[in-house]
Amino acid sequence: MGSDIPAPPRSPPLLVDHLHVRYGERVAVEELTFRIGPGEIYGLLGSNGAGKSSTIKSVVGLVRPGAGSIRVFGRDPMTDPLGVKALLGYVPESTLLFDALTPREFLEFVASVRRLPAALANERLAAYARAFQVDAEFEQPLATLSNGTRQKVLVIAAFLHQPSLLVLDEPLNNLDPRSVRIMKELLAQYVRDGTRGVLFSTHTMEVAEQLCHRVGILDHGRLRGEGSLADLRRQVAAGDATLESIFLRLTSEEEGVREAVRSLGGG
Amino acid sequence: MSWREAWRLADPAYTELAFQAIYAVRQGNLLPPDARGSLSARARRRVLQSKALVSAVLGLVSLGGIVVLSPVFETIFVAIMPRGLYVAAMFSAILVIELTLLWWTGLQVLPAFLAAGIVPLLSTLPVAPATLRRASLILFLRLFDVPVATCLILTPLAVGIALGSVAAALVAVPAVLSVAVFALALALVTGRFFVRRVQGARGGHRETLLRWTYLVLWAIPAFAMYAFIEIAPAFVRIIAGLTVTGPSSLLDLIFATYPLPFASLPTFAAGLPTSGTLSGHPRYGLDALPVVLGLLAYSAAVLGVGRWLAAAPTRLAAEPGATAGAGPVNLVVRPGRLSVAVLRKDLRTASRTPGFAFLILLPLLSSAALGLWTFASDPPARESFDLAVGAIATTTFLATFFGPAFFAIEVMGYSYTRTLPLPERGVLWGKVALAVLIYLVAGALLIGFTVLRGFPPGLFLAFVAAELPAIVAASTLELGLLFRRARRTGLPIVNLFAGAWWAALVSVPGLIVAGAPLVLYYALAPSGTTGAIVALALGSLAEFAVFVPATVGPGGRRAA
Repeated sequence: MGSDIPAPPRSPPLLVDHLHVRYGERVAVEELTFRIGPGEIYGLLGSNGAGKSSTIKSVVGLVRPGAGSIRVFGRDPMTDPLGVKALLGYVPESTLLFDALTPREFLEFVASVRRLPAALANERLAAYARAFQVDAEFEQPLATLSNGTRQKVLVIAAFLHQPSLLVLDEPLNNLDPRSVRIMKELLAQYVRDGTRGVLFSTHTMEVAEQLCHRVGILDHGRLRGEGSLADLRRQVAAGDATLESIFLRLTSEEEGVREAVRSLGGG
Repeated sequence: MSWREAWRLADPAYTELAFQAIYAVRQGNLLPPDARGSLSARARRRVLQSKALVSAVLGLVSLGGIVVLSPVFETIFVAIMPRGLYVAAMFSAILVIELTLLWWTGLQVLPAFLAAGIVPLLSTLPVAPATLRRASLILFLRLFDVPVATCLILTPLAVGIALGSVAAALVAVPAVLSVAVFALALALVTGRFFVRRVQGARGGHRETLLRWTYLVLWAIPAFAMYAFIEIAPAFVRIIAGLTVTGPSSLLDLIFATYPLPFASLPTFAAGLPTSGTLSGHPRYGLDALPVVLGLLAYSAAVLGVGRWLAAAPTRLAAEPGATAGAGPVNLVVRPGRLSVAVLRKDLRTASRTPGFAFLILLPLLSSAALGLWTFASDPPARESFDLAVGAIATTTFLATFFGPAFFAIEVMGYSYTRTLPLPERGVLWGKVALAVLIYLVAGALLIGFTVLRGFPPGLFLAFVAAELPAIVAASTLELGLLFRRARRTGLPIVNLFAGAWWAALVSVPGLIVAGAPLVLYYALAPSGTTGAIVALALGSLAEFAVFVPATVGPGGRRAA
């Protein structure tokens, strides 16, 4: 376990209450409310521009919400940003980071900021580096590495201090099938002790179906449906529907998809 | 394939380049959350402002020519050398300064030019290779348009006014043109060197040492130009000395060296004397032959380099990025204190980023060169001490002036860093530590030379230590102001070129704080060095006591 990371308190890993995010005139997230319980992997699903990344950026303190509140284990990221950031592990949507550093130099910086003892940091780092097969590229500047390798480095950085809440924005993008499999197993294992939580955004329905205990379906910044797969099937009154068809139904995109295919000459 | 089509391609590409330079989205920065209206227009405006700032400095150098080339200023040297030689030597100094400044500007913008990935994107469009080459060239030239235009207009104007000759002004144009061509080419060549040898270099102790060695080697030519500015008066005296000893092949050689053949043109155009009798002694001049030969050679070089320059931006931007070779793998990390981690990150980043590396090396090489100069010129011990004190004062100003630049490193991975539990105080101390480190290494270099000179280094050591709290106070104040701005706008200063306004503005209070104790020292030094150093220490400590708590006091635990 992380050395200086406070033990997770009894409050739930994440509470988002009536969240609003705006960029100038454009509303990105509106009246969004959801909760992640201890031991839960929560998936945020939505099309491009649905508000997933804006929600995640608000949780990790990159975007200041216009209204509403966020609590990470009961702490407010606006009033206690350092306390909240100490509890979080974050994988951003893009792999843009310190291009001039090597993975080893970057992870050394992260371990220093996270105040990890050297022995613990090295033990974890060696294990993750070998598991994700990035050890051979550890001394090469990030600028020279592929997007997939950069993504793996970000995943290692997020897991390094064994955070109480993992916030992952499209974490499987760019990863090879082997690493995707490892990541899925790792996340399932991660919440098994029933204290931690994972917020996971994706637009890949299969991944969400396999991995998430509950999902929230976002559309134009609003939550259109929420719950486990069974809850959502009940919500759309379709007993054997896949998450994909539930998603299209809740976001009223089914007809739009048919129309698009027709216009492209697909039938 | 017309230039018009190339321009049509280059214009939106330039907007993208300005956008990347200001907002650095591809370097991991976030757009301001309150973004509205045209961010692109705002980015173009800010790039123009920064160009205007660089151009203002160049304009000052150019117009300074009116003063230094005038007969009034020349009276300092008139007794020892013919006016024509004086004008040629001083004009060449102006050209060297312009070359250095343009080159330095190039070093700032070149990483943005390469990182923006615009040329590879354009190359996927169905456009003829010639059009693509022209579009890339236009894009590259637009990075320098206002600064180069400033030199091309103001420098000949200044020469014309100072010498009272239209012909002198006209022949100054090719001189400035050659400077622009060489500066742009140097920026490209050194930029390419960086991408290939430094940016992609592996980590590890041996490789880091090798990388810094490369950097020092790379900085030496640029530094030689900078050193030339510092020793220009001595250079003029050397030429004057050679005119006394008689016709000299060394004098001919000097006048065949770039940029003197071009710088001699106004002398010949205005009909100024290059030899004669001064104070009753004959003064030998130079033959026209070395100047003509030099002119022919350098004109050919300008043409050749110009042709190379026409295709180089496309080639360089399309080349594959940096790739590191194979080598031993080290998985061991050594986590440390926050400020040390920031300092290490900054040094590692700087070692793979030309602009930052240059800024760190400039004060160090300056100290080394001044120490060497002091040692070689063999002045008396007292004079050596004064020279060493002057050198460390210069380093003080450089360390504080370039302090804000280190803040710009934060733009890299900025959005990611903001998700880490990194207190503002940790980042700030890391940056202050870098400024202090530069100051101390420069001081150590100078102390090394003072010991070699044979005078006791105790007083000098006391001087360096006494000024140290003022350096900390100045850097802390500058960085505190920058953090305040970053908190308000959500953006750090992006790079030295794009954020030059802020870097310059914030440096003003920093320079005042760093400079005030030095003023006190120089005011009191005539009545005793020890007393003056005590006063310097007291003033410096007082500033430390005021500015450091005020900057890192209650807000220091804020997230960076």
